[in-house]
Formats: sequence, C-alpha cells, structure tokens
Amino acid sequence: MSRTWLVARREVVENVRTKTFWIGILSFPVILALSILIPTWLQSRIDVRPFGVEDRSGWLLKELKASWSLPDLPKLAAALRGEEDAPPLPASGLPACLREGGRLKAALRALDGDRLQAFLGSLPLLAGLSSDEFSEGLGKGAAGAALGGFPLPESLKREARAFHREVLELRTWWKGLPKEEAEPFRGPDGFGRYRLEAEAPEKELKEMLARGELFAYFVINEDPVEGSKGAEYFSKNLTDTKLREWMTRQVSRIVRARRVAKLRLTPEKAEWLNRPFRFASRTLDASGKESKVEKSDVVLKWAPMVFVYLLWISVFILAQMLLTNTIEEKSNRIIEVLLSSVSPRQLMTGKIFGIAITGLMMVGSWALFFILGVEILPLLFPEASRIISEFELARILAEPIYLLSFFGYFLAGYLLFASLLAGIGSVCNSLKEAQNLQQPVMILLLVPLFAMMPVASDPNGTLARVLSFIPPFTPFVMMNRAGGPPETWEYLATGVLLALTVFLTFRGAAKVFRVGILMTGKPPRIREILRWLGAPTGSIPKRGD
Amino acid sequence: MMEPSLELAHVTKRFGDFTAVDDLSMTVPKGCIYGFLGPNGSGKTTTMRMIMSIFYQDEGTIRILGHDRAEEVKDRLGYLPEEKGLYKKMKVGEIVAYFGMLKGLDKREAWTRARDLLQRYGLGEWIDKRCESLSKGMGQKVQLLGTLIHDPELVILDEPFSGLDPINMETMRNTIRDLGREGRTVLFSTHVMAQAEELCDYITLIYKGKVRLSGTLSEVRSGGGRGAIRLDYEGDGSILAGHPSIERLNDAGKTAEIILKEDADPQDFLADICGKLRIRRFDLRDPSLHEIYVRTIGAEEGREVSHV
Repeated sequence: MSRTWLVARREVVENVRTKTFWIGILSFPVILALSILIPTWLQSRIDVRPFGVEDRSGWLLKELKASWSLPDLPKLAAALRGEEDAPPLPASGLPACLREGGRLKAALRALDGDRLQAFLGSLPLLAGLSSDEFSEGLGKGAAGAALGGFPLPESLKREARAFHREVLELRTWWKGLPKEEAEPFRGPDGFGRYRLEAEAPEKELKEMLARGELFAYFVINEDPVEGSKGAEYFSKNLTDTKLREWMTRQVSRIVRARRVAKLRLTPEKAEWLNRPFRFASRTLDASGKESKVEKSDVVLKWAPMVFVYLLWISVFILAQMLLTNTIEEKSNRIIEVLLSSVSPRQLMTGKIFGIAITGLMMVGSWALFFILGVEILPLLFPEASRIISEFELARILAEPIYLLSFFGYFLAGYLLFASLLAGIGSVCNSLKEAQNLQQPVMILLLVPLFAMMPVASDPNGTLARVLSFIPPFTPFVMMNRAGGPPETWEYLATGVLLALTVFLTFRGAAKVFRVGILMTGKPPRIREILRWLGAPTGSIPKRGD
Repeated sequence: MMEPSLELAHVTKRFGDFTAVDDLSMTVPKGCIYGFLGPNGSGKTTTMRMIMSIFYQDEGTIRILGHDRAEEVKDRLGYLPEEKGLYKKMKVGEIVAYFGMLKGLDKREAWTRARDLLQRYGLGEWIDKRCESLSKGMGQKVQLLGTLIHDPELVILDEPFSGLDPINMETMRNTIRDLGREGRTVLFSTHVMAQAEELCDYITLIYKGKVRLSGTLSEVRSGGGRGAIRLDYEGDGSILAGHPSIERLNDAGKTAEIILKEDADPQDFLADICGKLRIRRFDLRDPSLHEIYVRTIGAEEGREVSHV
C-alpha cells in the first residue's frame, strides 16, 4: 500500500505543479463571479435598445410615456403597507402624497386585492395628463375614461383635481429619485432596457434605422383602440423579439383600458375580465402533509442539476488528466523503471488515487470559492445580491443528501471512468490514438448530460428510474434525482450495482493496463482488449489480425 | 557452491506465433559481471523483462536471489531498461530520491543518498533543476543513479552503453567495474562485443531466442577455434581481401582481424604481405569476441557476415 501511496503522492505533486491545475482551480471563481456580475452588468448597460416611434393616433405614445414615468406601483404599495417581502422604502424620503394625510396614501391603505390592482392600473393614465388637460377632460375624454367615465358633482371634481395633482407629484418625485434607490421599484415593464430615441415620421425613422442609430421603430396606427391594422414594427434584427413583445404588452395595456372605458365597464369588472386562471402550487412534505410551494422549494428541486454539472465536469476533467498522464508516462518510457519497483496494479491504483486527490482539492476549492463568493460578492457589488439570493445556499447546504450524494457519486463516477480511461491510455501511444478509442466512453458520459433536463423535471419517472440502474449513468442520474428524492431501496440497489461495476471495471482495467502499458505499435482493437480480460496475468495474448 | 544470483532453466516466451525466447538456460553466479550478448531482436530485452517479472515466462523457471519471482525481491534488484525515460517536470534530486523510496528507502535516507550520488557523479548543481533541462547523457546518468540508489545486490542493465558519448561510456564502464568489485552481481546486455570483452567474467550469446555460446570469457574465446591474427597496418588493404590464404577477414581499414585457412601457415602469410603493406603489428592469439560472434551468428544465418 505504501508504494501505491508514493505513486499517488508523486502524481498529486506533479499535477499541482501544472498550469492546468491552477487554471482549473481559478477558472471556477472567475466563471462564478462572471456568471453573477455579467447579467447584473448587462441588465444595467448593454441591453439598451434605442427605438423610434411614429404615433399616428396622436395620444397613445403620450400615455405610454406617462406610464414609463411612474415606479412599479404594486411594489411601492406593498412597501408602503409594510408587507414582508417588499423592498425597503427609499432612504431619501417620500413625497407628501405618500406620507400621512396624502390622498394617495389613504387610497393605497384602504384598497386591497382586485380593487387595488384596478386603482393602480389607472394611475399611469392620470400621470399622462397635465392639470389643464385633466380639468378640461373631467367627465369626458381621457380623464373621464380613467375614472370610469361617470359624470361627477363639482365637489368631487375638486377632490379629483387635488388627487390628480398628487399623481403628478408622485411622477416628479420618481423622476428625481437617485438611481440606486429607484432600482428596487423599477417595474418589469420599466424603461430601463429600452430607450425612446426618436419621435418622428416614418421616413425619418427608416433612415435612422438604416444608419444604425435605431435598433427598431414602431408605427402606431390611427385608431389603435379599434384594431391593430396598420401598426408596424421594423427592425434589422429578427431574432431578438423582446423589444417588440415589451412594446406589445405596453400598448395592449393602454388599449385595453381604453376599450374598457368605451364599454363603460367599471375598472373592477375590467380587472375581473382580464384576470387569468391560476392553479395554486402545493406539494406533500416528508410526513405526507400538504404544504404550500415556495420559491425556495423550487430552487431546491433544481439545485441537483448544478451538482450534476459540477460532478460531470470534475469527472470529465480528471479522467482526461489521467488519460494524458498515462500516455505521457508510457511515451516517456519511464513506465518500465516504475514496473521494476511497483506492480502494474499498484501503479494504476496509485495514479487513479493521486488524481482523485488532485480532483478533490479542485472540487473542494470550488466549494470554498462558492461559499466565499456568495458571502463576499454582495458586499462588493450590491447589485449582484439579487441574483445571489436566488442560490438559496443555506437551504441547499442544509440538505445533507445533496452534499453526501455529491461526494459519494463523485468518487464512484470518477473511479469508474478513470479506470476505463486508464485502461485505454495504457494501450495507446499518443493522444490521437486515445481520442479514437475513448469515443465510446465519451458517448457514455454524454447520455446523462442529455438526460439531465428530462430527469430533473421528472425525478421519479420511468426514464430517470431506468437510467439509474445503468451503472455508468448511476452517479449522474441519481445525483440529478436528489430533488425527488429517490426511495431508499433505489439508493441501495443502484449503489450495490454501481460498486460492483466499479470493482469489476477496476480489475479489468488493471489487467488491460498490465498488458497494454508496455505495448508499442498499433493500438489493439476493442475485440483484442476484451480477450485480454480473460487471459492469465502476465501473458501477452496473440494479436489478432 | 554458493547459490547463484540468478538461474534461468528452460525459459520460453511466446508472443502469439512468435517465439521470442526459446528454452533458454543460464546461470549467473554471485558477484560476477555477466554479459548477455546478441544482435538486436534476439530476445535479450524480453529475457530481462521476464527476469524482472514484467513479463511472465510461458515455460521454465527463474530463480532470482533465491526466490521464484522478482516481485518478491524487488527491493534488492536494480533495473535499467533499454528505453530510458524521466518525468520531465520533476527535479533531478526528487526523481532519484523517488526511485529510492519506491525501493523501500525512507524519505530522509533516499534524499541523503540521492545528494551523495549526484555529487559523486558530477551532477550536484543539477539537484534542483528539472529533468527536462538535462542533456541526454546527463539524463541517462540520472537514470543509472535511480537504479543504484538502494544498493541492489543484483543489477540488471539493458543496453547500458547505447547512445553514450565516450566520456559517459567510460563512466558507465567504471561504474559496472566498481559494482563488480563491491561484490554485487551485474548482468548487462549489449551487442557491442568490445564492451563485453573489457568487463565480463561470463558471457552468454543468444540468437533468435536460443543460447548459442555460454561460459567464462576465456572459455568462450579459447573454444572459438583457430587463432586469429590481429594486424595493424598502413597501406592499401585491398590486397588482403582476395588473399588466397585468408579464410575470413574483418578489415577495419587500419586494423584487421584475420582467420587463415586451415592449411595456411601464418609465417608464410606474414612473409607474403610484408612487402605489400607497412606492418605495425602482427599478433596471433585467441579470436576476439567479435570474431566469435560473427562466426557464430554468421554460420547461423548461412552467409558470410563481415560487419555487424
């Protein structure tokens, strides 16, 4: 055993000295940091799409701009009510309309549910009107539409005008709010990613588009409330449809409100009409009790996929490392010296374990980086905290089944594939030869990767179950299913099967290794290798032709 | 009599249809320097690998230091294979010490010896350099040190002289001689007869997997039949080539080894060539190993072999 350990230790020292090892270790935190920071950065900067509009209706664009001038009202309302998962209120303070005594504040407090939604939906329309326009149109036109189109007595009109002034005040406050404080209240349809670059006749817009100053432009038809005939979208980019979809949602919302007004429906009725049908998501917990599905539960169910990726990448990298090292040792001709001191099995075992230790160091460092990253990145980059909070690290770490499965299946999966590749490496004289021979193994490795999505979405389905019982797939598929989780007997049965396969593969590989490692010339065919498995130790079977 | 270090009895090894070693028997007494001779492809390396248990023989027995398998006495053996390699990224000191540790030395002992050896062989400055920075000759020296670091009782060297420059060849020769003087047993293979002649107490010549000649150096040479003339000369050697008294000629240009026909008289031959060449030395003696080698293998081949 001590010789095996010597070989293993040399292997670790040698690998730790290579650039590949450090690139492997350092690339992970770099990728992790980038995967968190790049989306954050992209969201704020790159994705700005300048667009132009020709508004032939004369009013739609104005209302759109008004709605873009307000914060995400449902979020703001939730924050004002002090609801649990609402973002904190802006530190620089609130406008009078949102403080005690403000009409807006009183309305937000008094209303709830559908009525609140309907009320909030009408605010952008109000914000689009100047005071004069509002006074003039009370009882008719746009303002009338917003209020349901009902004629009002004079006292109420006065009240309505005061209310309207509050809405304008809200708009002014929002416009002046510092960017960081505004961030949590930026609506999903907010104006962040798209910039209205030009309002001009189509001819001009077309030229701007041709010059590349615009990403796209819209033509709004004369009567959008009536129908969308004549409304057009022009862009040179046909794959990114996000801007068009976003604009469609915005316009639809306003058009819908107009249609509601035209039909003289109350906002409540309109809201009811538009409300989609929803199923509430419930699941059974371990004791069979019914419980509500929370976001973190969903994250937890998908977390195994991250582990499968890590598992796959580490097994892949390490098995490749072993293959390369074996071939190098063989082409170096150092192997014969080693074989005069250690047995081929000790040599192979030593190499496999040496690289396993290297791998554990790598994976361990990744885990460390991951934890550090989740803890430290939000301190350095506050914007990143939103993405990081979705990792739900604490909940994942609190489930021992994930980490235990990961390390267990890492070892089993690694041993299985490392033995295969050590065997292959031993019969090849160059990496090129090895690439041909390792193809079947690579295909074996790819299957669990392709099956990852289907297995994750149905962890206890037939596909998942069947794949779990095919030993080369077991480590990946069982890890993938951890969110299920599989039943105990499945863990036991697949575990025994896997252990047996690892044992047999290892023995077989040791045999091939012994014959192959001293062999030079044309690599043997798979049929020949299979025959070696049955041959007595130390003999060189006849080469087939 | 003391038990020999190594004894092969009727050892046969086949690779498929090809018989690499055929019924080979050989005894290496303790403390001798033993030359294992034969042309390329005659089965020397395969035999040595069987001795080291890297291959197993199909038939026959091998007794090594009183055991049946080299695996049982690995730590008492030193083996330098023909194709020599080092880990390129490892440091010179590390790799020598590593070989020592693989042979069961503890870490401190291995390092002490590695430093000593490197110093003694003039590689002291290289101890912290990577193997890839060594020249070929230095690399071979490092390999040899890795083979000897654990003071093996039996040292097996496969073609130790191949690819060495004259200085390193000298070092190798001295090393083998010293190992012999220290009472260790050395078995080395070569196809250059002069090296064997200089060093060996015993030789075995194999060809096509079979033993052709075996014994002490003097036995082999005196058993080599008629004496050979060693001739050092100046002038046009072509007159030798067709000379009627000569049966076989190994002419190197300035020196020649000459076997006369059975009925020819060396004195007459000398008198005959005396006027035609300027003779610096004329020496009648036992045939050289080279001559014996050529004669043996050439007869086997069924043709005249004048150069090997």
